Amino acid sequence: MNIVVCVKQVPDTSDPDTEVHIDSTGRGVDQSKFSFVINEADNYGVEEAILLKEKHGGEVVIVSIGPEAANQVIRMALAKGGDRAIRLEDEAFAFSDVYATAKILQSAIKDIEFDVVMTGCMASDDGYAATGQTLAQLLGVPHAAYVKSVEVIDEKTLKVGRELEGGLLEMSEIKMPCVLTIQTGINEPRYASFKGIREASKKEIKIMDLAATGLSSDEVGENGSLSVLKGYSMPEVGELAEILEGDASETSTKLATILKEKGLV
Amino acid sequence: MGIEEGTFVKKYDLLGCIQCGRCTGGCPVTVRTPLNVRKFVYEALNEEILEELADKPEIWDCTTCNTCALRCPKGLEPFEVLIGLRSMKAEEGNIEPTARDALESMFNNGNPWGKPAAKRCDWMDGIDGVEKVRILEEGEKADVLIHVCCTACYDPRIIPLARNLVRVLEKAGVDYGFIGTEEKHCGSEARRLGEEGLFEYFDEENSELFSRFDVNRLVTLSPHCFNTFKNEYQNLNLPVMHYTQLIAEMIESGSLELPGEIATQVVYHDPCYLGKKNLVFDEPRYILGKIKGVELAEFFRSKERSLCCEGGGGKMWVESQSKAPRLAETRVLDAQALGAKTIAVACPFCLLTLEDALKVKGLEEEMRVADILELLGEAI
Amino acid sequence: MNEIFVLAEHRQGELREVSLELLTLASKLGPKVTAVLLGSGVDEFANKLASYADRVLYVDDSMYANYVCSAYQAALSELIKKEKPGLVLIGNTGQGSDLIPSLAVELGCPFTTDVISLTLEGDKPVAVRQFYGGKINGTIEFKDAETYLIGVREAAVPAEELGKSGEIQKIENPITTEITVQKFLEYVEAAVGEVDITQSAMLVAVGRGIREDKNMPMMEELAQVLGADLAGSRAVVDAGWLPPDRQVGISGKTVKPKLYLAVGISGAFQHVTGMKGSELVVAINKDPDAPIFQYADYGIVDDLFKVVPALIEKIKELKG
Repeated sequence: MNIVVCVKQVPDTSDPDTEVHIDSTGRGVDQSKFSFVINEADNYGVEEAILLKEKHGGEVVIVSIGPEAANQVIRMALAKGGDRAIRLEDEAFAFSDVYATAKILQSAIKDIEFDVVMTGCMASDDGYAATGQTLAQLLGVPHAAYVKSVEVIDEKTLKVGRELEGGLLEMSEIKMPCVLTIQTGINEPRYASFKGIREASKKEIKIMDLAATGLSSDEVGENGSLSVLKGYSMPEVGELAEILEGDASETSTKLATILKEKGLV
Repeated sequence: MGIEEGTFVKKYDLLGCIQCGRCTGGCPVTVRTPLNVRKFVYEALNEEILEELADKPEIWDCTTCNTCALRCPKGLEPFEVLIGLRSMKAEEGNIEPTARDALESMFNNGNPWGKPAAKRCDWMDGIDGVEKVRILEEGEKADVLIHVCCTACYDPRIIPLARNLVRVLEKAGVDYGFIGTEEKHCGSEARRLGEEGLFEYFDEENSELFSRFDVNRLVTLSPHCFNTFKNEYQNLNLPVMHYTQLIAEMIESGSLELPGEIATQVVYHDPCYLGKKNLVFDEPRYILGKIKGVELAEFFRSKERSLCCEGGGGKMWVESQSKAPRLAETRVLDAQALGAKTIAVACPFCLLTLEDALKVKGLEEEMRVADILELLGEAI
Repeated sequence: MNEIFVLAEHRQGELREVSLELLTLASKLGPKVTAVLLGSGVDEFANKLASYADRVLYVDDSMYANYVCSAYQAALSELIKKEKPGLVLIGNTGQGSDLIPSLAVELGCPFTTDVISLTLEGDKPVAVRQFYGGKINGTIEFKDAETYLIGVREAAVPAEELGKSGEIQKIENPITTEITVQKFLEYVEAAVGEVDITQSAMLVAVGRGIREDKNMPMMEELAQVLGADLAGSRAVVDAGWLPPDRQVGISGKTVKPKLYLAVGISGAFQHVTGMKGSELVVAINKDPDAPIFQYADYGIVDDLFKVVPALIEKIKELKG
């Protein structure tokens, strides 16, 4: 079973204290203070691919769009059990939307004989949760998003569980080759030790620029995109908790109403 | 059969063990977990069963408190065998998710707490009577370089320790400096969670970082950083002190005066990494004795026999399977029996574990746990 | 713009609220609104949708009884090509989010997902969505096209009674071939009894503030009426009031539910580290200085023994 896993290096903004500042262009954020990590859902994708490889054999190929610094997360995936990697880097890729991003990934994946392509279900930075599905359509294969369980039925078929609202699992069969976007919690990602990551630098990371993808500059970046991020803005949010005032009856009524409004009751 | 380099037998001098059992006999966690360190030392002789040994959950119960090493008549360090077994698990990638997250954060953020490196110095803002905390520029000269410790940078409960240290240093006119947001985790907990490679990385990174400043000595806030810089770093060329040693020196030389009175019964809890590991017993007691109003009591189990709080050895991130009361709970009950109102500590981990134990025992109204730095903050 | 399509979403015999939210949003944008319903024997949904839309396009076929991406995509693609709506709104849900990108690419339509507010500038949509986990917003514009596809977040707009009476047009299934690449099997509820708090959508987290073991049933009831799972601080687990797998914090579990209701939890750093990814944090604590309030979106500073029973009653009332 040959599996391609798409991974993305993202700034770690998970901590509430991590501030995101809009840069002077208004279309980017100040990256200088961030630490960079593998996108959380992608990490589960890597683990799921390696678990399937350990059980069914085959090859795991890691594919990533990003600068040289992204080698860190690629090597981590290789240390955990990936066999080889492709990293796509070109200035022309900047400002690609989901569609253009998927085209770049497709250019690297189309020549690989894969059974399954995995992506994380969502990137923690832009949160589109759409790259895998877009890629599937470009590759001409079916897909399933938010996959929380994978089981091999036969050489051509997988049984997958997609996570829906309220934790409900939608179980279905899907024919391979296919694309699965992996939801966090599907497994428990292993740890890649420092030595393991260093040793993984012996494994191949093939670099592809725009020319190597066979795409033209009109097909990538903002030119090749269908949607354009015009600019960022700061949402209005209170720094501290809003304290609900009143006696227990009043505060509990207020809280129950808030929970109802948020769709939680 | 020859003994190969790199094997457990060679690395931990296992053949030096006479199986006397003094290690296990003194091991504090045996009251609540199945850990038997003597048996591990014996069984680790058989290289073929090492993997089996590494799978035993109790290897994660060891707090690396050093009691076994202190008691060993042959001068061995039995607990290091357990760290060696943990390393095998870390190498495989098969460790508790909590430990994994801490280790990944150490590498990514320079601290085990998942906090952004950019926020490492936020604690320095607005300290009473201190205009600006001094952060050293590259090549800048100072007598003392302070290493803060990740917990004191980020945990709101521990931050006051660092802030009080600054106040004390300022008051005594010490020529000090901090590193700033480039400061990183010392690597001590990485090593104890079995991540030897990551520890070596911190050794190289931090040694290079410290060498950028023209300083005479390195002072740490935590005994864990102190120990690892002093005893485990291969690349560091600076004398290392714990803050209690520096402050004792300041009081002795007359540069620090403690006019404030704290009328309370205090019992001092020896942090393992300061006491049992580095035999620093006197300075903390000396400082406490210089605070007016403090009546100092001693635990029955103190100094070399001090009871571990279970905060070290990576235990902040890995729980025991045991449901028996934590050692910290025993410790606060011991303090209560002595009539102590304050348990004084000199370590962030001890502070957290003992304070938790106070809550579990419902004693938080009756007693408090305070770091010596907090008491000094009140006394100056 | 001629028309806006809104895809109705249903699951397990229920029309989902997001359908009405999107119809409400669409009706405020101006153009004629058509609800598109793919289902099997769901006339009652069509009737309900008719009171929120100017028209209901209803395809009644057993192949749409449950959501299957390939089937839905094939049908919608045909309908959109035929009717050429200027805008298609789909709920950014487990179903919609699965469907939108591939449908849009098949049609060559510009699209975006998880939109929290939407306006029209002439015939073109302008969407606002969140980035970096909600820390900043971004405004999205689109290349010129005949049709745009937008995924709108659930609960971004509340549904309102619109009092419309749209015409229900039951139409032929545009798909005549069998879909074989994907097959729906069943829905599986999360296993009862084996609670994994890292996967819980809602958590009621208990701290030492509840004082005694005998107060746990009250917390269990609160969790039960909310449909939440119980979690706790290390101290509560140490006291044996909750099993160790319910412990939140650095040495326990890291959780990120939609709701984290912290009751009697002071909010030690080691605890907070394990719950900081929660979407909505509510804290009930009698100590106004408890650190938990620094992480909470809403707080109640009061005796939990007064607030919790009242809250249980209020929630029961709201649920009818």
